[in-house]
Amino acid sequence: MSTAQRAPLVELKHVDRFFRKGNATLKVLQDINLNVYPNEILCLVGESGCGKTTTGKIIAGLLNHSGGEVNVQGRPLASYSDRREKAHLRRTFQIVHQDPFASLNPSHTIAKILSFPLLRHKMVKNRTELAARLLELLELVDLTPPQDILNKYPHQLSGGQRQRVSIARALTVQPKLIVADEAVSMVDVSIRIGILKMLLRLKEELDIAIVFITHDLALAKYFAWQGRIAVMYLGRIVEIGRTPDVIGNPAHPYTRALLAAVPEADPDVTRAKEEMPLRSEDIPGLLNIPHGCAFHPRCPFFVPGLCDAEVPKLAVARGFNQEAACAPLELGLPLTTYAG
Amino acid sequence: MADGSVVLSVEDISITYTTQRGIVQAVSNVSFDLHAGETLALIGESGCGKSTIVLGLIGLLPKTGKITTGKVTYRRRDGRLIDVLGLNKEQMRQFLWNECSMVFQGALNSLNPVLKISSMIYDTARAHGMRADEAKKRALSLFEKVRLDPLRVFNSYPHELSGGMRQRVLLATALLLRPQVVIMDEPTTAVDILTQRSIIKVLKQLREELNFSVIFISHDLAVAAEIADTVATMYAGEIIEKGPVSEVFYRPRHAYTLGLLEAAPRLSTGAEELMSIPGSPPDLIDPPKGCKFHMRCRFVTDECKTTKPPLQASSPT
Amino acid sequence: MRKLIRSYTFRTVVQGLITIWAVMTFTFFLIRLMPGNPAQIKIDEYVDRYGMSEDQARQQVATLFNYDPDQPVFEQYVDYLSDLVRFDLGRSLTSTETPVAEQILRFLPWTLFSVGLALLVAFSLGVLVGLAMAYWRGGLLDNVMTVFASVIYAIPDYIIALLLIMVAGVQLKLIPVGELYGGSTQGIEPGFTVEYILDLLKHAFLPVFTYVLATIGGWMLTMKSSTISTLGEDYITVARARGLPERRLLTAYVGRNAMLPLMTRLAISIGFVVGGSAIIETLFLYPGLGRNLVLAIGLRDYTTMQGIFLVIAISVVVSNILADLLYGWLDPRVRLGGDKGTE
Repeated sequence: MSTAQRAPLVELKHVDRFFRKGNATLKVLQDINLNVYPNEILCLVGESGCGKTTTGKIIAGLLNHSGGEVNVQGRPLASYSDRREKAHLRRTFQIVHQDPFASLNPSHTIAKILSFPLLRHKMVKNRTELAARLLELLELVDLTPPQDILNKYPHQLSGGQRQRVSIARALTVQPKLIVADEAVSMVDVSIRIGILKMLLRLKEELDIAIVFITHDLALAKYFAWQGRIAVMYLGRIVEIGRTPDVIGNPAHPYTRALLAAVPEADPDVTRAKEEMPLRSEDIPGLLNIPHGCAFHPRCPFFVPGLCDAEVPKLAVARGFNQEAACAPLELGLPLTTYAG
Repeated sequence: MADGSVVLSVEDISITYTTQRGIVQAVSNVSFDLHAGETLALIGESGCGKSTIVLGLIGLLPKTGKITTGKVTYRRRDGRLIDVLGLNKEQMRQFLWNECSMVFQGALNSLNPVLKISSMIYDTARAHGMRADEAKKRALSLFEKVRLDPLRVFNSYPHELSGGMRQRVLLATALLLRPQVVIMDEPTTAVDILTQRSIIKVLKQLREELNFSVIFISHDLAVAAEIADTVATMYAGEIIEKGPVSEVFYRPRHAYTLGLLEAAPRLSTGAEELMSIPGSPPDLIDPPKGCKFHMRCRFVTDECKTTKPPLQASSPT
Repeated sequence: MRKLIRSYTFRTVVQGLITIWAVMTFTFFLIRLMPGNPAQIKIDEYVDRYGMSEDQARQQVATLFNYDPDQPVFEQYVDYLSDLVRFDLGRSLTSTETPVAEQILRFLPWTLFSVGLALLVAFSLGVLVGLAMAYWRGGLLDNVMTVFASVIYAIPDYIIALLLIMVAGVQLKLIPVGELYGGSTQGIEPGFTVEYILDLLKHAFLPVFTYVLATIGGWMLTMKSSTISTLGEDYITVARARGLPERRLLTAYVGRNAMLPLMTRLAISIGFVVGGSAIIETLFLYPGLGRNLVLAIGLRDYTTMQGIFLVIAISVVVSNILADLLYGWLDPRVRLGGDKGTE
């Protein structure tokens, strides 16, 4: 892929993120190694509490990391010290949230919402330029005719239109990376695909990278088919690779379990799907993450003494193109059902 | 599976809401039959009226909502027919949960945070004249069936249980009084993939063992494809297509159903081309003439704009 | 031990103790910064009236009050603290023979009785009416009561008291205000007799009625809004769908949950019961702690003031701690310390 040749926009090296909760420490992220390249699509998938949103916030620079290194455009994050550089950094990375109703100020018109970042970052010189830029932005996100939208308030728009405005606002500052956190989860099915297609078009037209965070595997597969997927479980990446590899030939037992569990909008296919029974249905809490591979208490292919001993490293196992963190796979052992 | 006899018959029901802007025609002339043992999926997007219908059925519409036309007939196990909309308050109270129970979306909010699960069970049992020891026995056996640790869960507060566990508790509670009909409003929406799988599994198994009918409300085509016998697609307050699940999914007759299917991503296919439906649903204060979908429909003709098409069988089933 | 130090209750208690100490220290110094030293006033009085020499008068006052105005303030403070540890609040500067502690114990029951009774009545009535207002929202009761509650909530208690005296007492002569002044009627033997208790209630009527009027509006409005938000909760709809009778729904589901946020407020109000209302007690000549405090301030009676402030501070702090514990007891989410289940 051509994107892989360019230097990464963001590099996470052994990144940890801890939160204090009362007297306990929640290890929300542990040892995350992840690069985001320019103009690529990277999908973070996993169930709630897996750390995908926290990772997204660290990538977008909205949250500090507790341990490890974060490099931005080749330089350590800490080296960005003066205010101008920091402001520039903030502009380069944008985030689009799940709920456009909560993230758009209800008492401002769309024109005002979009003008604010343009003026603050001095992206336009005068009123004429501002007006032209506003129309251009709304056209970019397919809100046409733009004149009709400008003077409306967020509550006068539909959910899909509001999310398009959020995206337009992210685009005001000409970012190089957009983190889309469950950006279409609250939008109706019939409208969702239109927004995703638009994001894909913007990625090409404006040369931006998109980090797409979702719990919906089918959606991730559609959106990131040309890009990569990282599957997360309890604060770690358990599998990462090109989307067709991960979805078509999943390596990690957790990814396999997820894929087997997703119902499909096709009665015959979904009813014929072979279920992968787990050994336990309860996800352990972040306060007591299991030793070794965090998935081992639920994994049907558990190997005692191996899986519960050490945290497995991400590696490419034989027969796969993507990296997975699974000790038996790494050793080339066949995955057999644990009988005990 | 459906054995043919109709348990719940909804005829020509219409529901309006009074708002400051005007009267919203939330549900227009909806009819359907629910057979014994059948799972009927009402699918549609937000605002299509799917939740309003069921709130109307069980008499829990908000004060601004009103049923303007229609008749709902329920057939009890002893064969007696009940006119559900004609029940008075006390009769409705007894009808609920005994004959028709509900599982709501958002399992945490569905449980009173300051009461133990046991209190909820006892309250429900007492309200319908079931003895406490019998209720406990029944609840424990149902918890067992939905693969919960029965005693632990029975004595827990809602916040001590995970989202998936709470949803299974609600599922079990819905079956406490052996109702013939269980209405489920997006029961798998706010839960994780593996949790959703376990709920679907438990639901299928319970249905087989206890043979109740289900009205399953969802915006998720995939879940409907998995568990429904019959699918009804709703748009702008109307059922615009209804049929056996395989018919609706493989031979959709309505452009909106087709559009929904074309917008649904699938995992098992390779690269795929998806399409979205242009535009957005109409304002139900001032609904369009003719077919309510015509502004978004790619097969639109002049007739669509003026004449409201009836729901009719177009393939022999 | 570490567990104890880290425990929530322990930290709350330590915080409370520090607050009490801070209040003590603050009042001690604040009072001494006030103009008009009572010992000096007494000394002047001795000199003027009895013709004593300045030194004589000074000595007389020092022995009498057990308080030496020439002592450095810091030493006075240390003495004060060491006495406090022995629960000795000192002697009143004005009525020399009575220890402050004894004085407080004499006035405290009157305040506890009147304000406590008022709080009980206002809270129970306010909660019930607020619940009903929300339940039949938009009905006649709701509309009338919302106006009533807003109006009386906006009027300060002493205005209500003055209105009672002027309008109901003096002009309309509905209430024999004069007879109701004071704590009890002279000549009625204190004891558990019907006559005495009725007399107590009769005399407490005016202050209690004033307090109830002044606070009930707040309880009604808070309970109404809390109930409205509870009624909108999903679990209420679900409980209805389960066919629960309205009465059970209203008590165990709506009422109980809606009252939760009010419990903290109630506990804090209990803390202020001890202070009573200085103005109300003064207006009705009710022999409570508040009136006593006003008198003490007028006479620059430091030791009494300090003692009363201390009692008020302790009761506020203790009731805050109680509020915390009570909330935890009523709401299992707090009691059991958060989510064991994860998603």
